[in-house]
Amino acid sequence: MSDSLRTRRHERQNLAEEQEQEQEQEQEQEQEQGQGRGQAQEQGHAARHGGGDRPDEVDRARGGDRPDRQAPQASLRGPLIGVVLVLLSIAAGVWTLARGELGVSPADALAVLTGNGDGPAEIVLTRMRGPRILVGAGAGAALGIAGTLFQSVTRNPLGSPDVIGLGAGAGAGLALTTLVSDGPGSAWVGALAGALVAIGLVYLATGRGFASPSRLIIAGIAVAAMALAVTQYVVAVVLRDEGSQLAGQLVGSLNSRSMQHVVMIAVALAVCAPLAALLRHQLLVMDMGDELADALGAGAVRTRTAAIILSVVLCAGAVAVAGPIAFVALAAPHIARGLVRSPGPHLMISALVGALALLVSDLAVQAVPFLEGLPVGVVTAGLGGIYLGFLLIRTWRRTTA
Amino acid sequence: MNGTTTSAETGATTDPGETATSALALDRASVGYGEKVVLDEVSLTFAKGRFTAVVGPNGCGKSTMLRALARTLPVREGRVLLDGRPLAEHRSRAIARRLALLPQEPVVPDGITVRGLVDRGRHPYRSALRRRLPGDAEAVETAMRATGVDRVSETLVTGLSGGQRQRAWIAMVLAQQTEHVLLDEPTSFLDIAHQIDVLHLCQDMRADGRTVVAVLHDLNQAARYADEIVVLHEGRVRAQGAPHEVIDEALLREVFGLEAEIARDPQSGTPLIVPRRRSREGDRV
Repeated sequence: MSDSLRTRRHERQNLAEEQEQEQEQEQEQEQEQGQGRGQAQEQGHAARHGGGDRPDEVDRARGGDRPDRQAPQASLRGPLIGVVLVLLSIAAGVWTLARGELGVSPADALAVLTGNGDGPAEIVLTRMRGPRILVGAGAGAALGIAGTLFQSVTRNPLGSPDVIGLGAGAGAGLALTTLVSDGPGSAWVGALAGALVAIGLVYLATGRGFASPSRLIIAGIAVAAMALAVTQYVVAVVLRDEGSQLAGQLVGSLNSRSMQHVVMIAVALAVCAPLAALLRHQLLVMDMGDELADALGAGAVRTRTAAIILSVVLCAGAVAVAGPIAFVALAAPHIARGLVRSPGPHLMISALVGALALLVSDLAVQAVPFLEGLPVGVVTAGLGGIYLGFLLIRTWRRTTA
Repeated sequence: MNGTTTSAETGATTDPGETATSALALDRASVGYGEKVVLDEVSLTFAKGRFTAVVGPNGCGKSTMLRALARTLPVREGRVLLDGRPLAEHRSRAIARRLALLPQEPVVPDGITVRGLVDRGRHPYRSALRRRLPGDAEAVETAMRATGVDRVSETLVTGLSGGQRQRAWIAMVLAQQTEHVLLDEPTSFLDIAHQIDVLHLCQDMRADGRTVVAVLHDLNQAARYADEIVVLHEGRVRAQGAPHEVIDEALLREVFGLEAEIARDPQSGTPLIVPRRRSREGDRV
């Protein structure tokens, strides 16, 4: 070992020790006041860059006075859109209730809820249209959240539960369950089992678990095709007896829902939505790639796994109560992003968009003449497809211009 | 010269005392992908508060080492030490407050402004329940000013030139306010002026007391701007030390397969490599 190296090492060691002590103090400070050290450092740094004529104090005053330009805009726009979406959803619900011969006016509905309603109104509200609206809103919200979670962790606009085989898997599970028993409870079990089998197959097929977003999607498309084949098989087997009912399980329907269905989707949302809200913090940095997400402490693979599990449960919940409704999970996050116009997963807005989309689509199959009687999934697929096409064309135009 | 190289080569026997007090170190760390071992029992200590350049031929494990240091790639054997404690014992968020990584090709999120991107650097300080902290705006502002992107703060990152975009990324790393900064080939894909620009930013970070470790391809730039050079070769540390101690003709021949003359940089006096030709052994690479 040369002398110079030895001396250098020695110096380095001393330096390291000194800095260690400094750093301990710094850490304490940091814990107290967040980021005092770095600020002071960068303050000096900025002043150097700006030349000698810009003292630190000026810089500090400037930095302090300058308002955070992005925050007010983003924090106002989101809630505003949320309120509008809630109002529109309520309007769609009220319209659904009040429509036609059996219509229940808001006043009648209020009377029923306070215990003073008359017979027919009560039946319509609690057994017919009420559950239908609530299931529609709940399933739509669940699909909106599931889609946002999924697209966020796959970093792919097509990485949604419908494309990846979750919806189809849940639908296949649901269809298979009807062969042995019926009732909402077993439907939930069947849908969840189907979704789990589907995501399990995707996990195995990628060869890398959930680590590669692009493989996730390709494997998912294959699994979706298989699941659809299972559903079609069941429908073909049962077609002779009760095919019309099962048709709803192919595309999703809100016909003849009960309060049991309402409870099921409400429980799924009550469990998953808060967890999704907690996960949002980590999802915020997933769009910069796994490596950077890891470096920022967000644990990319863990975050992705958690998001997919939540997505599976939400999706299975929606399918159990309404069938495999297409395109809501795919389109709601896009629409939400288009409305809010800032990066990051917009879980709440997406949930509201999903709820509104399903309510409006269901209203359409009840009120629009040539759509009447169709399963609601046909309309969501149509509307969602058209909107997505519109969105893509607009984006492409903007990027090529 | 030769003595220096050998002592650095036997880094596996790094004095444990040194490891314990130094900020960032590898301790007999082996890292790889699948069957392939990329780093083979590497022991290395990064001098605190210095700017270290990691150099070596393609595929020697430079980026892999950076990933291992940033815990984005797990070590198979051995340990990565932060203040003498294995990384695995630190919480990931706690590490993110002390050590920042800028990957080689980070993904620019859709529709994000410069300010939005820089703001991402504050992530480790926030949580699901504390989304915004009092110091955030200030940290973002100073980071943008330090890198000169404050004038384009509301511009979309996708609309920036390559040089400006890299400045924006470095601003994000600065906003993270860590004492260690790891940069994976921060000068690649930039023109010469912007390369120098980024190297000056590295020196600024060092001047602020940060420990900077950057993977660099250009040996002359590494020699000129870095305090220390680490030469990796076939998954092992071939040499570590000040540029003038490390860079010699034997090393260039052995590691890069290059016959070269070592001149003095007329500006800084640091070693300046003037290639003659590829050496015969180099042909196999």
